[in-house]
Amino acid sequence: MKRGPYPAGPEGESRGDLQDEAFEDEEVRDEKEGSPEYPFGPPPAEEEGTGARLARAVGRGPLHAVIIGISILWMIPALGLLVSSFRERQAITRTGWWRAFTTPTEFTIQNYQDVLTGQGMGTAFINSVIITVPATILTVMVAALAAYAFAWMPLPGRNWWFLLVVALMVVPIQLTLIPVLRLFADLGLTGTYWGIWLAHAAYGLPLGVFLLRNFFVALPKDLLESAFLEGASHTTAFFRIVLPLSVPSLAALGIFQFLWVWNDLLIALVYLGGTRDVAPMTVVISNLVSSFGTEWHLLTAAAFVSVILPLAIFFALQRYFVQGLLAGAVKG
Amino acid sequence: MARVFYENVYKRWKETVAVKDFTLEIADKEFLVLVGPSGSGKSTALRLLAGLDSISDGKIYIGDRVINDVAPKDRDIAMVFQTYALYPHMSVHDNVGFGLRLRKMPKDQIHEKVVQAAQVLGIEPLLDRKPGQLSGGQRQRVALARAIVREPEVFLLDEPLSNLDAKLRVQTRAEISKLHQRLGTTFIYVTHDQVEAMTMATQIAVMNFGVIQQVGTPQFLYDHPTNIFVAGFIGSPSMNFFEVTVTGDADQVRLVDDNGLSLPVPAEKRRALESYRDKKIVFGIRPEDIHDPNFVPPETEVAPFDAEVEVTELMGNEVFLHLAHGETKFLARVDPRTVAKQGIKMELMVSMDNMHVFDFESEQRIFTPEEEGKVELDRSVEEEPAEEQVARRQSEVPQDQADQD
Repeated sequence: MKRGPYPAGPEGESRGDLQDEAFEDEEVRDEKEGSPEYPFGPPPAEEEGTGARLARAVGRGPLHAVIIGISILWMIPALGLLVSSFRERQAITRTGWWRAFTTPTEFTIQNYQDVLTGQGMGTAFINSVIITVPATILTVMVAALAAYAFAWMPLPGRNWWFLLVVALMVVPIQLTLIPVLRLFADLGLTGTYWGIWLAHAAYGLPLGVFLLRNFFVALPKDLLESAFLEGASHTTAFFRIVLPLSVPSLAALGIFQFLWVWNDLLIALVYLGGTRDVAPMTVVISNLVSSFGTEWHLLTAAAFVSVILPLAIFFALQRYFVQGLLAGAVKG
Repeated sequence: MARVFYENVYKRWKETVAVKDFTLEIADKEFLVLVGPSGSGKSTALRLLAGLDSISDGKIYIGDRVINDVAPKDRDIAMVFQTYALYPHMSVHDNVGFGLRLRKMPKDQIHEKVVQAAQVLGIEPLLDRKPGQLSGGQRQRVALARAIVREPEVFLLDEPLSNLDAKLRVQTRAEISKLHQRLGTTFIYVTHDQVEAMTMATQIAVMNFGVIQQVGTPQFLYDHPTNIFVAGFIGSPSMNFFEVTVTGDADQVRLVDDNGLSLPVPAEKRRALESYRDKKIVFGIRPEDIHDPNFVPPETEVAPFDAEVEVTELMGNEVFLHLAHGETKFLARVDPRTVAKQGIKMELMVSMDNMHVFDFESEQRIFTPEEEGKVELDRSVEEEPAEEQVARRQSEVPQDQADQD
């Protein structure tokens, strides 16, 4: 009988690793690397002929047609809104917005002037910015710090604390309104920007911590260990390694939080009150709807004023969603 | 002056013991290779030294300092990771200089050192690139440069070659050896590949199940494996094992089995087997010690051995014969002129001078080196300065060994 041979060939080395989540992610990545097309190494350089590229484009044709179709369908109402916001009041009531192109002279920017000056949308726009920008920055900053601790600092019961934070996501905001309002009253925070910044940050943190922690944990462990060996403290590792590599996830969280705060009506109304000098655009628009329910030319213009900034932010940051900043960190 | 000393070190993860009673002294300037299969605890042993995992029990010394409670950054070590762990958002220059920058070294001095390290590894033209723009071999060099730039007392390398392709691996292997000679620093190298261990090490420590099986020079481990595990792990292709019974009297000791095997034991090895008379033992023979009768090297004491040929593989300079003896499959590495066809029965010659025997129960080696009449001992080797070993080692390792990848 033969004893052995004992394994001596090349085989993957698996460490007794306790970082389950990080490990799982690595495994997923490994699977991708060993894709059936190129099981023995990196894919060949992208040098396909024009014919091949054409064939592929044609092959994907139906898919593209469907996607473009859905996109157009989705954009028609928004387009209608945009066109209407540039038409005079009488024109809107007389004909549909698609007729507007037959009489181009009808277009006017009067609606926007009215809304911004007469209806206070200008002040409201500034208020919205004052509320949203600090609330977003605060959330992303605190969430990143907490997420780093949950991902990389050895704390007793770390995963249980994390679970607790995640569990907070299921608490409905409405449930917290009264107790928090009382607390704010005691602290003198009602009706102040500080109050609403803190409120938004608190409501945004569970999701933010959850999102960022899962991203941080998936960063290659070797990267941080190497930094620690080279003399990095946690602070250095956070600012020099983790933050620069997490820009896509920070941007994603930033956009989420920005849109949420920008579009929020309830929290602003409860903690800030509806007075004109502090009210954000959501409050002003809802007032417009109740007092000028039939004034379409004003409502459409107001609506567009309110989406300009989120649109700009989205287009500015969207490249981070698709950019693979991690390329080259580890072999792959 | 960086001797590394593990003293009865344990590492436990809840119930499992990753490293068990690990005692190992690594002399200054040594190139120690920790080798073992996956999960044998070799990486953990390295990480304990680096301070990336905490030590459950025992002490680790670097020089005369116990480093159990010293922060990783204050241990004066540098580590090269299997994945290279380069910072993807920094240029190669900043990657290499990262540690120096954290140590608040003036900028021009950092630059000087980075360029020096880059010159040593031949990556000077790449300093402005990002890691993503480099090939695997280049990233490997950057990782090495980052390790040497801080001039640490001890280098730790955790499977640094396993992500390179076979050709690059052979090349980089030689370069790491050269780097070791040039720097004259202690290297501790973890790998599961015994070829890397054989070719680079001045000392090898074989691990299995968290326990050190044997420590010694590559040649010593090859010639005198202390148990069946080491015998099967060191050497490629690995050793063949047969279950045999010891028979005969003082003048004529033979190893026999049920399939008609009957091998006479050379005179000088009989005494050690006396206490095993009529007992089962495990007989081990390396593929290169089995010969075609027509091409037996001169002055070898051989014994005949019948087997059926299952597959033949011509490698050019040699032929691998996959053979069957009864139920047992084994491998012989014979002269390329050997005529062997699939399915035939052939007689082979076993070189009994190089036989290995192991206790059936404990799997431990039965012969002590003295009994085999070989003088080179483990201890006497350790006295030898590391530099000489490096030089000697390179002439020792058979070339075909190095090409098996």
